[in-house]
Amino acid sequence: MSKQPLPNAKERLRLFLSECGRRARGLCDSLRRQPNRIDSRFVLAFRYRYWEREARGLELLKEWLSPEQFAQYEAKSYFEVTGCHSGKRYRINRGTSMNIHELDGAGRPRLGWCFAPQGHLVAGDVMLAQKIALETDERGALAVANRFSVLTGPRTTLLH
Amino acid sequence: MATLIVMDHTGDTRHNFDAKNADALLKAEERFKELTGAGFTAAVRTAFGEAVVKRTFDPNAEETLFFPRLVGG
Repeated sequence: MSKQPLPNAKERLRLFLSECGRRARGLCDSLRRQPNRIDSRFVLAFRYRYWEREARGLELLKEWLSPEQFAQYEAKSYFEVTGCHSGKRYRINRGTSMNIHELDGAGRPRLGWCFAPQGHLVAGDVMLAQKIALETDERGALAVANRFSVLTGPRTTLLH
Repeated sequence: MATLIVMDHTGDTRHNFDAKNADALLKAEERFKELTGAGFTAAVRTAFGEAVVKRTFDPNAEETLFFPRLVGG
């Protein structure tokens, strides 16, 4: 694992928990006003907004993927990009952190990279920013990224 | 109609403008400078679908995408 304390992941978790707390307080208030039933509109609205945001991000991502990347993502929930400086291949998995794997010559993950845009963005946006960064400024992206180990079957790569 | 797409917590926010209108173009350029000045990266797509990072405003781009500064996770 990286020596870095994963500040961005912590920030994301903090924001997510803060959002959950705010929603939970709203739900409590709603229950206080109507103690005999859960306000289903509140729950539905929360779910809708969450999924709407996620869907918007994925839609944008798919618009910007190449036809090959799009097909790969549809089939496997990940897509691969080529670093503009090294020519190395990277796999961007669905997610918002610790979701990039550098591939070896045989297409197997050899190590992980973790970087993302600042702020609380949805998965589609994060993956799109990662793709553009690796394809247009690989060195710049990796300069801010943290490395992490990936399991490669019987042996494990450990990086610090 | 051209669009500036800014990634944010809602997914994205889109600012449409008429690229043939000088005032609208000026406003779009100001927004571009504001965003890139704040650390956002601007990218456009070429005719071949490749993403290209833009340091200056491209008045001919149909879509310009902005994403926040990258940080290690």
